Amino acid sequence: MDARLRRVNKEIADCKNDKTSNISLELVDNSPFHLKGSFPGPEDTPYQGGHFEVDIIIPDSYPFQPVKMKFITKVYHPNVSSASGAICLDILKDAWSPVLTLKSTLISLQSLLCSPEPNDPQDAEVAKHYTTSKGSFDETARYWTQIYAGGPGPKDVKESRVSGAARDDVAIAGLEKAHVDQFEGIGFPRNKVIDVLRRLNYRGANVAQISEDRIVEELLKP
Amino acid sequence: MDDDDMEMDDYNDDFKLNTGPKRKSYEVDYSSLSQTSVEKSMREDVDHICGILGVESPVAALLLRHQAWNKERLIEKYMETPTTVLVESGATVPEPVAAPTPVRSHSVDKSTASPSSSRRATRSSSKLLSSLTSPTRLSFQKSNSISPSGTASPSKSRKDTKSEEPESFVCPICFDDSPDLKQLALDCGHVACSGCWNAYTTSKIRDEAEHSIRCMTEGCALVASDDFVRNILSDAAPAGTDVHENAVAWSRFQELLVRNFVAANQKLKFCPYPGCTNTVSCPSAAGKSVITSIVPTVSCGARGIPGSSSDKAGSSSSGVLQAREHVFCFGCTIESDHRPVVCAVAKLWLQKCEDDSETANWIKSNTKECSQCQSTIEKNGGCNHMTCKKCKYEFCWVCMGPWSEHGTAWYSCNRYDEKGSIDARDAQSRSRASLERYLHYYNRWANHEQSAKLSVELYAKTEKKMEDMQITSELTWIEVQFMKKAVEEVEKCRMTLKWTYAMAYYLARGNEKDLFEDNQRDLEKAVEDLSELLESPIETENIPTLRQKVTDKTVYVQKRNEIVLEDTATGFQDGRWRWNITVDGFEDPLEDSKVD
Repeated sequence: MDARLRRVNKEIADCKNDKTSNISLELVDNSPFHLKGSFPGPEDTPYQGGHFEVDIIIPDSYPFQPVKMKFITKVYHPNVSSASGAICLDILKDAWSPVLTLKSTLISLQSLLCSPEPNDPQDAEVAKHYTTSKGSFDETARYWTQIYAGGPGPKDVKESRVSGAARDDVAIAGLEKAHVDQFEGIGFPRNKVIDVLRRLNYRGANVAQISEDRIVEELLKP
Repeated sequence: MDDDDMEMDDYNDDFKLNTGPKRKSYEVDYSSLSQTSVEKSMREDVDHICGILGVESPVAALLLRHQAWNKERLIEKYMETPTTVLVESGATVPEPVAAPTPVRSHSVDKSTASPSSSRRATRSSSKLLSSLTSPTRLSFQKSNSISPSGTASPSKSRKDTKSEEPESFVCPICFDDSPDLKQLALDCGHVACSGCWNAYTTSKIRDEAEHSIRCMTEGCALVASDDFVRNILSDAAPAGTDVHENAVAWSRFQELLVRNFVAANQKLKFCPYPGCTNTVSCPSAAGKSVITSIVPTVSCGARGIPGSSSDKAGSSSSGVLQAREHVFCFGCTIESDHRPVVCAVAKLWLQKCEDDSETANWIKSNTKECSQCQSTIEKNGGCNHMTCKKCKYEFCWVCMGPWSEHGTAWYSCNRYDEKGSIDARDAQSRSRASLERYLHYYNRWANHEQSAKLSVELYAKTEKKMEDMQITSELTWIEVQFMKKAVEEVEKCRMTLKWTYAMAYYLARGNEKDLFEDNQRDLEKAVEDLSELLESPIETENIPTLRQKVTDKTVYVQKRNEIVLEDTATGFQDGRWRWNITVDGFEDPLEDSKVD
C-alpha cells in the first residue's frame, strides 16, 4: 500500500482511539488527504469553551514535507490571520519533522492558542492590540470565541448581553462603542470608522496619543 | 582571452595580431575549475581539518560546512569548546541526552531505554557509518541503531543482535511493520525504515535544494554524513525505489555541496549558465573593494547550454551563436560582459533605464513646458491658445511665445523669429536639456543592444553569403571564414560600445571625458563601416577586394576596441575617472561636474 495512505489512515485511527486528547479528525470529500481537524480551546485562555476547526491538506510528499493547515473557525490571535485563518507556526514550515503527526500538530496549534508569539505575528493588527492592551485583547478574543467558536461568552454579562448573541462589529474589532459612535456621529459610515480605528489601534492608552484630527484625516482618505 | 587566441591560430594567414600571452589591462587572471577539481580542494580543506582537530573526515566536512568553510574560525572555536562546536554543526548528539522524543513504536521505546551514556561521540560511529557502504553491513547497521548496546562500541555492536530486536519493528514515520524492513538511524538512534530515509533525503535534496540532511525526529539536530547520504541513495535504498532517481539525487547532492563551498569562498563563483557545474576562481576580483577598479569578465570555458539543440563543434554559424561561451561578470549578475564600465555604474545605468526611459520618451514626444513656470503640459485637444493651469500664463503652443504678442492673428501662428517666442523656446530647450542628454545616451545604448540582438539574423545571413562565395568564387571554406570573424568582431564591439554610452552618461565633464568620447567615436565609426561592408551585396568580381577590405577593417575594429577597453581599464586602475553622481566606492563628484 502507498506509504502516505497507510500513514494517514493509521493517524486517523490513532486519533479515533485516543479519547484523552479531545482531538478529532474527519474526512472532507471522502479523501484521506483533505481533512478537517478540531480541538477545544485551551482552558484558562480567552479561547476556553470554544470549538476550533482546522482545514488540513496533506501534500504528496507527506510526511517529508509539512501538512498545510489553516483555521476554518475565525480566531482572534496574533499568529493567526483574522481574515484567512493562515497560521504562523514554525513546525508548519522549516521546523517540520516527519515524526510529527496530525495529532501532535493539532496539539501544537492548541498550545499556540495558550502562548501567543506577538513578536512573530501573522496578523499585525491583532498583535498590536495584544501588545498594547492585553485586557482589551482578551475581551475581543473571548468575544470572537463566543461568536465564531460557540464559546460561553463574556463573564461580565451586563451590557453586551442586551443585544443577545447578535454580532457586534465594534466588540469584534476590540473597540469602544463610544469612540465609534463619536466618529459615526460626524457623518462617516460605521464600517469605515471601525476599519480606521482598528488600523490605528485606537485602544487603551493609545486613545490619548492619537489626535482626532489624525483619525478624521484617515477617514477622509478614499 | 585564451580561447580567442586559439581561434586566431586557425586563421593565421588572415590575421596577424600581437596577441601575446601577456594579459591585457582590461582582463583579469582567472581559472576555470570543474566540479571534480572543486571537490578536490574541498577534500584538501577537510583533510587539513582532520589533521589538526583529529576528527574523521565526515565530521570535519560537517564542521566546515557549519562554519562556512572558515578554517581559522573553526579551529579557534573547536579549541575553545569542542563539544559545542560538534553539537552545533550536527556532528554529535548533545551530551546530556534527554531520551529521544517518546514515540509510538516499541522498537524505539526500547532504544530509549538504553543508557544515555552509551551515546557515542562522533568518531567511532561515523566510522560505523562509513563502513556501511557495503550492503552486507546492513544488519550491522540495524544493530547499531536499535540494540541497547549497539552504540556502545563498534566491536561490540558487530555481534548479531537480531535476537534482541523487538518482535516487530514499526517504522515511526510510515507505520510499516513488514518484517523485511531495513532499519536505519544516525548516531542519535532515531530509527526509521530505509524507505522513509530514502524518500526524506530525496525530498530534501530535490525539493528544498538542501545539503544538510537532518535527522527526521523533531528537535534532533544531528546531520547525516555524506557517507550516510550516499548509502541511503545507493546500497541501502529499498528495492522499490527508482535507481535513476537515486542517482540523480546523489549527483545533485554533490553539486549542492560544491555550491555551498563555492558560496562560502569569495574567490570562487559558480557558473551562472543553466546546467553548467563549473566554477571560476578569480582571486584578483574577490571582495567588494576591488570591483571599482576592474571589470572582472570571466568565462568557465564551457560552451552552449545542455539540452538545447546546439552544435557543439560550432562549425556552422548558427552553432556559434547557440554554443556561446559561458562568459559572465565575476563581480555582479547584471550582464555577462559590461566592459568597459564597472559594475556599480552599470547597475546605476540599468536602474535609470528601467525607471526612466519610457516615461522620458513619452514626455519628450507629447509635452512642452510652460515658459513661465516650467510645468509639463500635454495638449490633448483644442486650439493653440494655451493657458497654463498652474500659473495662468497664456501662450501659443506652436511658437511658445506669449499669446498677447499674437495680436489679431488668433488661432494661427505664422510667426517665428519675434523676440518673445525665441526667448520662450530658449527657456524650453534649457529645461529639456537634461532629458535630451539622457535620451541621447539611452537611444544609442538601446540601439547597440538592439543590433546585438539582431546578430542572430546577421549570422544566418552571413552564413548564406559564405556559402554563395564558395560557389561563385574559387575561395575555399577556410578562406571565407573572414566573414564570420568580422561578424563576431562587430558583435563584440557593439557590446563594448553599448556600455561606453552608459559610462559616458555618468562621466564628469572634462578632458578625460573628451578623450573617452573620442575613442568611443573612433570605435563606433569603424564598427559602422564594417557593418556596412558586411551588409553590402556580393558581386563575384568584387570578392577579392571585399575580402581584403573586410579583413583590414576587422583588424582595425579590433584594434579600436582594444584601445577603448585598455584605456578605460587603466583609467580605473589609476583612479582617473570622475563621475557626475555619487557612485559606491568612488569619491564624491566635484561640485561643478554635477549634472541634474
